[in-house]
Amino acid sequence: MRAVRVLERVLITIPIMFGVAIVVFLFMRLTPGDPVDIMMGQGGAVTTGEIEQLRHEFHLDEPLPVQLWLFLKGAVRGDLGYSYVQKRPIGELIGERLPATIELAVGALFFALLVAVPIGIISAVKQRSLVDQISMAGAFLGTSMPAFWLGIVLILLFSVRLRWLPVQGRIDYGTELQQVTGLYVLDSLLTRNWTALISSLRHLVLPSVSLGAAAAAIVARVLRSSMVETLRQDYITLARAKGQVEFLVVMKHALRNALIPTVTVVGLQVGALLGGNMIVETVFSWPGLGRMVVQAIFERDFPLVQGAVMVYAFTYVMANLIVDILYTTLNPKITL
Amino acid sequence: MLRVKKALLVSASVLAMLALVVGCAAPAPEVVEKVVEKTVEVEVEKMVEVEKVVVATATSPPTRDVIIVALTDAPTSLDPADHRSRLSETVIRNMFDGLVTRDTRSGVHMELAESIEWLDEEILEVKLRQGVLFHDGVEMTADDVVFTFERIIGENMIEYPEPHTSPRKGLIAPLESIEKKDDYTVVMNFSGAWPPAMQMLVHQQIVPKHYLEEVGTEGFIEQPIGTGPFKFVSAEGLEEIVMERFDDYYGGAPDLEPVGLACVKEVVFRVIPEASTRVAALLAGEVDIIQAVPAELIDTLAQTPGVQVKTAPSTQPKWMEMNVNQPPFDDVRVRQAMNYAVDKDLIMEAIYGGRAVALPGPLSPYNNFANEDLEPYPYDPDKALELLEEAGWTDSDGDGTLDKGGKPFAFTIDTLEQFRSLTEAVADQFRTIGIDAGVRFWEYSVLKPMLLAGERMAYLDDWGDSAFDPVGHFEAKWHGQVEGEPYGRGNFSTYNNERVNELIKQGETTADVTMRQTIYDEAQEIVYEEAPAVFLVLPEEAEAAREDIQNWEAASDSRINLHDVCIGQ
Amino acid sequence: METSAYAKTPVDRLTYSWRVRLRLMRRNFAYFLTELRRRPLALVGGIVVLAYLLAAVLAPHLTAHDPTAGNLRQRLLPPAWEDGGEAAYPLGTDDQGRDILTRIIFGARISLAVGLLSVGISVAAGTALGALAGYWRGLLDDVLSRFADLLLAFPFLIFAIGVMAFLGPGFLNLIAALTFKGWVEFFRLVRGEMMAEKTKEYVEAAKVVGQSHPSIIVAEILPNIIQSVFVLGTLRMGYMIIMEASLSFLGLGIQPPTPVWGAMVAAGRDYLLTAWWASTLPGIAILILVLSINVFGEGLRDILDPRLRIE
Repeated sequence: MRAVRVLERVLITIPIMFGVAIVVFLFMRLTPGDPVDIMMGQGGAVTTGEIEQLRHEFHLDEPLPVQLWLFLKGAVRGDLGYSYVQKRPIGELIGERLPATIELAVGALFFALLVAVPIGIISAVKQRSLVDQISMAGAFLGTSMPAFWLGIVLILLFSVRLRWLPVQGRIDYGTELQQVTGLYVLDSLLTRNWTALISSLRHLVLPSVSLGAAAAAIVARVLRSSMVETLRQDYITLARAKGQVEFLVVMKHALRNALIPTVTVVGLQVGALLGGNMIVETVFSWPGLGRMVVQAIFERDFPLVQGAVMVYAFTYVMANLIVDILYTTLNPKITL
Repeated sequence: MLRVKKALLVSASVLAMLALVVGCAAPAPEVVEKVVEKTVEVEVEKMVEVEKVVVATATSPPTRDVIIVALTDAPTSLDPADHRSRLSETVIRNMFDGLVTRDTRSGVHMELAESIEWLDEEILEVKLRQGVLFHDGVEMTADDVVFTFERIIGENMIEYPEPHTSPRKGLIAPLESIEKKDDYTVVMNFSGAWPPAMQMLVHQQIVPKHYLEEVGTEGFIEQPIGTGPFKFVSAEGLEEIVMERFDDYYGGAPDLEPVGLACVKEVVFRVIPEASTRVAALLAGEVDIIQAVPAELIDTLAQTPGVQVKTAPSTQPKWMEMNVNQPPFDDVRVRQAMNYAVDKDLIMEAIYGGRAVALPGPLSPYNNFANEDLEPYPYDPDKALELLEEAGWTDSDGDGTLDKGGKPFAFTIDTLEQFRSLTEAVADQFRTIGIDAGVRFWEYSVLKPMLLAGERMAYLDDWGDSAFDPVGHFEAKWHGQVEGEPYGRGNFSTYNNERVNELIKQGETTADVTMRQTIYDEAQEIVYEEAPAVFLVLPEEAEAAREDIQNWEAASDSRINLHDVCIGQ
Repeated sequence: METSAYAKTPVDRLTYSWRVRLRLMRRNFAYFLTELRRRPLALVGGIVVLAYLLAAVLAPHLTAHDPTAGNLRQRLLPPAWEDGGEAAYPLGTDDQGRDILTRIIFGARISLAVGLLSVGISVAAGTALGALAGYWRGLLDDVLSRFADLLLAFPFLIFAIGVMAFLGPGFLNLIAALTFKGWVEFFRLVRGEMMAEKTKEYVEAAKVVGQSHPSIIVAEILPNIIQSVFVLGTLRMGYMIIMEASLSFLGLGIQPPTPVWGAMVAAGRDYLLTAWWASTLPGIAILILVLSINVFGEGLRDILDPRLRIE
């Protein structure tokens, strides 16, 4: 029975993706701005004849529904068309930039968990202590800071003033790295390239912190509250009464149960991280998908925006779907 | 009801899936193959590099063989015939040579051409240098030159991604045809006398015919091959372009010392759009040369140990064009008043740290044909108000804003984000004399058609003048718009004066220098008086590099020529 | 619900439970304040938010300088406590010579207005649609829910940027961009709660008595849902303000010379090396406001949650 519902949910994503494609398409086509002008660069003595020709080649002279149909036809086949501005296949462009975005999202998630889990546990265990108060204050701070401001302040402090960390980019130039997955940290581990590992890690720190701070705050709070809930339960008191070591009580029993709602929040954060990286990518000149999309929107590079937003929407929907499924697996009381 | 709905939903989705499966055709495997190929190629080359390249670490790298340049934006293409941006040319010029080249201090010099002679007014004979090799070892001959230019001036000669005409055609519009006379001689036929021919030929570079015919444009842009001092290694999506020294380089323009192979082993172009990030990267030793140093940092950088700053007279004059066909700017008195209302000295002092000159009119004062008699409009707010009053604008209701016939003098200055500081300052000065000026930032591609159609009121930007010759500049800006022709392609004020149009055409086709000067003097005077724009400033071009970078000069045309640049000890 | 002097006319009946609540609220307000005092953090948050609101309203009276007129000779002056700073410009000046403190205070107007309006409209639209969808179910629910799902497939920022690119800059367009996706959360919340409440006894009772559907929704169920909406709204305010700042940071939204916090941070980026205050200080203003809203909202949730329910 549940399997059918899961299948239902998975299948729903298809019409949703179609819907997304249509919405994005309409938005871009109806936005003011002439793509042919972009293609000609800044100026250029083009005759009207040449402009008409370009329009025809890119099917801009066809009625909207036809253009939409052509786009959908191509998208389904995996051919997302060519970028007006960069004159390369969009699939290629996205493929080049996607690993950078994924690496950033993973880095942010890693930072978020690294910070949130210990803080969440300790705050819950030592409820209302000074540690708890400070941590919760920090958590509030985390959700109240605009990511772009945090990024700028971190750059100011660690790159400009202290010169500890680099200002932008993913890796120091001159560092050779054989690319396997496109994720530099992973690749340097796989190829045992320690210089590249250090370099890419150094570059990943500040952007990950900027992006992950908000997520860390949210996860810390959720974990804390669900830990507090769990620690109040009878079976915990029972475990303590039985003489179990406190540490084990906390880590084995309480944490395991407290993790359930936390995991779903983490899952939701993954979605948010994947969707919110444009700002951080812009601040740190991180060569990812987010920054490319923002530029493409400003430049009215229709095909590129369409393709990239489709990819984003797809990832987002998938992430949410997986979270939902995981949640029902872990907590059978809730149904899809 | 619920069951029916569910059934419908499931079947619809299944149908959709079937459609997906059917729609998915063969192309997929092909793409994968190519990707793998490319990675392997690059890997092999990179592996050879390993011993030679030294890792760049913290703030002061030891002996190094690599120069890293930070650009303000990514080049749009590595194909010398398929772009219209100065930046692209900056990068391309290190891999491709042209018939002639330019050094901003000393002018045009022979490069791939050994000698050039005008057989008559319209026919140019070019004798090519012998023994010049492309990066793949094949010699450059007249066939390549003919192929290069035919590819530019022909219709739809560039076939990838969709067949289209080279956007650089307009830069050599008078070239009608080119033919090979012998293996090392070509003859170019122009539609008429074209005085700036040499200056404009600088901007076209020679591509290899055999290679392009073999791999097509698509293959060419993935692995470009030219005759330049550096050869292409890799480009990560045009954000990081790597080149290495071409060891069989013929030496370069013989007039420009030093002649020979490039000094450094490897060159990297990186894109860092934010100015402060660029500067920070330079300070941290992450890059060696940076473009476009912000004015307020010039002094700080110049005093920083380990860094050198160089400036050059700029070729990007800045002005605010006013729509001369719409009130209130349809009245010449108002336009002149706007010129008197701006305190250019204050702006140059405050925003550009004094490193700028005021524009004396439509042409930069460094232009070879600038009118020496013209002086920049002085700052005279009283005169401005006087002129405005003559035109009917006074503050009749005492609210601080000028008005006429019950309507206030209010308008928006459209501009691009990069001119923020200047535009806000100018708007502020207008507000001081009672004009309600606002600012709005746009994307150029969206704004340009609106400007040309006369839909906006005021626009602030610059227009490059890299040839120091009015051609390429005057006819683009101040000639009336002519469809299908390069005239007025940048005329955002919709200004159209018959006498000026006439003069422009004359100036283009007259070869005699003295006569050209007279012609352009008159044209400048008319435009100055009619003031279709507020002529603002010409800031200096500032670039910075690490201390040990030698033989490097800031260039007025923003070109970064790395052929002769060395890293000292 | 008893028939009394208060329940004679239809209007009376509709507003009955609201007026009962009002009376309870007045009694509870004292209670509320006591509770608030028990949570000093939330109290401080509330006071700060109030301070911002007052500053925004009284802006011209609190500032000595013009927020839009610059003075190029006073460009990029450091804050008063630094070397080279002047007392007349306590937080320094920006690249046009405008006083940063003045611009921050005036900027509060925009941020607060955008925050309040976008949340307000999201709440109104989301609640209305959610109530209808949750109560009636059927086709309306299906269509609205699917539409909401579709909107949810887009990351918030990309969607907002796209809308702004489409509509162009401007205050109203900014609010439209934020509200377009913002209502979905409230829609889902209200819909869920509505579906849960519908099964409860008092609704059955109302139906039996013959109350009309609209009256049931407005008079009976909504009052019980409203506080979760209220709490969520408060919590989302901070998020909306950050989103607005992010959009302004990217250059969308309101154009100069109007002071807008996000745009101020962006403009200051060019001067990070020489004038750190231009970017950092407006960001701190955002931070403090959002922090206070969040802290206050948390306290609110704490207080309101299990209490004040009328069945």
